[in-house]
Amino acid sequence: MATGTLDRLERILLVVPWLLDHPGATVDEVTQRFGLDRDELAADLDVLGYCGLPGYGGGDLVETAIVGDRVTVRLADFFRRPLRLSLREGVTLLLAARALAAVPGLAESEDLERAAKKLAGVLGVPAGLAIELSGPGDEHLGVVREALDRRLVLRLRYRSRSKSQTTERDVEPWALVGAQGSWYLQGWCRLAGAPRDFRLDRVEGAVIRDEPAELQPAQAPWPPAYEPEEGHTEVVLDLDRSAAWLPDRLVVDALEERGATRRLRLRTSSLEWVARLVLSLTPHVVVVAPAALAERVTELASDTLRRYEAV
Amino acid sequence: MRLAVPIRTLARTGRLPGSARPAAVPCAVVVDRLERLLNLVIALRETRRPLPASEIRERVAGYGQPEGEAFRRMFERDKADLRALGVPVQSGPLDRWDDRLGYRIDPEAYDLPPVRLEPGELAALALALSATGLADRAGAGLAKLEVDAALYGDEPGRGGASWRAPRGEGRAALELELDAPNHLELMEAQLTRTPVRFTYRPLGREAAERIADPHALVHRRGFWYLVAHDHARDARRAFRLDRIVGAVRAAGPSESFPPAPDAGLDDVVPSLPAEGPVLAEVAVTPAIAWQVARRASGGGAPVAGPQDESRTAFRVPVGDPERFVQWALEYGPDLEVLGPADLRTRVVAALGAAAGQERP
Repeated sequence: MATGTLDRLERILLVVPWLLDHPGATVDEVTQRFGLDRDELAADLDVLGYCGLPGYGGGDLVETAIVGDRVTVRLADFFRRPLRLSLREGVTLLLAARALAAVPGLAESEDLERAAKKLAGVLGVPAGLAIELSGPGDEHLGVVREALDRRLVLRLRYRSRSKSQTTERDVEPWALVGAQGSWYLQGWCRLAGAPRDFRLDRVEGAVIRDEPAELQPAQAPWPPAYEPEEGHTEVVLDLDRSAAWLPDRLVVDALEERGATRRLRLRTSSLEWVARLVLSLTPHVVVVAPAALAERVTELASDTLRRYEAV
Repeated sequence: MRLAVPIRTLARTGRLPGSARPAAVPCAVVVDRLERLLNLVIALRETRRPLPASEIRERVAGYGQPEGEAFRRMFERDKADLRALGVPVQSGPLDRWDDRLGYRIDPEAYDLPPVRLEPGELAALALALSATGLADRAGAGLAKLEVDAALYGDEPGRGGASWRAPRGEGRAALELELDAPNHLELMEAQLTRTPVRFTYRPLGREAAERIADPHALVHRRGFWYLVAHDHARDARRAFRLDRIVGAVRAAGPSESFPPAPDAGLDDVVPSLPAEGPVLAEVAVTPAIAWQVARRASGGGAPVAGPQDESRTAFRVPVGDPERFVQWALEYGPDLEVLGPADLRTRVVAALGAAAGQERP
């Protein structure tokens, strides 16, 4: 029960300054503001009523009362102020504020900058913290956020990674996610009839349609990673040192160190994007299996090479 | 104002005014401890001189009965728990002539200084915590700031972020994934100017122990970096947090080094060649033109030549040549590098290798 005790202590140290400042506040006001129920409040005040200055005589003890609907605390001047932010709390708040302020084109940015400045003042030392969240595709952030706020359908022109084709599709937006250096829109894709993640740098155009999004957001998995399924193809690649970073960026089943090379196994529903990935990292990545992938890489390379030779 | 019967006199009868059920105390020990901790905070805060442990045992309610060893354990645990909560329990000599240890809470160190956030700032901060998934770790901090604002009459309005933030009710419409091992610990170390010790595994090399003075934390393109003064190299270095193996530990007391000169994004971005960015010319199909246009400097131009009428030419900054070649190859037949010649040669060589031919 030790944690319960400390939670209650923390709560009392938080609520009492407010109660001292709001004499005669109603029970409802207090319970709603601090998210506790009437019994919890009564029990906290009861304990506090036994506390005070050493001596514990008349005038030393805190006076607490709930009369009818009204809450009163007196003789607790030592709890006039909330407890200082712990370093961890201050750091976390500052980090969150600076991070959200770094989102391009966010309406809250100015408020966050001001809040961050005040927080830095409380921490008393300059925080060395820089966060960059702008990147390709962030010109769509505004329209996506508006669609989310208004719960409207978005029409996207999107170039999919798996097929390297641009298609037009209607999406019911669920969430905007910044992760792994990219922006993603998660939502229900009406074209696919399934939940999908759209990387904003692959969005050519996004337009809000005057049509409400009907589906409730599902508990979509995060990160927006590929989830291996039955029937997907296993791919085996050998990487040399220059491509050693690749496993950091993929959902990998296995990674094996083989002297100077690393052998990587993953599963995919689409060989096309793997083929383009391998081509782009030539000669640092070599296809071990399947044969169809190696063939596709060769074919892509030959098709591309033909353009260079035609000149 | 007339105070009605104080609750405590009624509590002994087991009924509280206005309480729906008897406020039966589920476990007397729990309440005793809460009461003792509150009394300890009050006593240490209100004393003008440090209190020796013996005096705490005699005078602070809740400590009276136990024998010496039991008291010592109890007091040590209470002290540690209060400090973990952020209550600044200080210890020091009783006075100039008496070097026995005494304890005290400096009211100035206890009180939250006025922050006075405006309602809009509080709301934005609540959104920031929910978007970054950090509400669990700093919700209590936000609640303190809300009370602070309320003391200045800046009521954030009801139904704002509460003490117990509602969890699991759908999801935030905006999420920022910024979690990284050790990032809060390193930020604390930077703020307190504490040197740190950690095991670092650079890409493709052996892991080794490093000791460094943290200057800044930088988040860029999905990765966190620690910018720090590396003791062994006697120079500023950037370390990627996901390449730190295990936990980061303090390698010295706080305030061990002077405030660092400004550090930031520039310390983790590879420096550009002095002569300015090189531009490459590429010809692309309409299918990918919009994607390339985003990277290009200036608009596109039609490509000269009869067989290329559908293609558009763009000039794009090269940056790192290796990464430029990777970028170009990913588009396959939709993109052709027209120049400069050395980049075109590199692309052709890579394509030749991938096509299984001899390099031209």
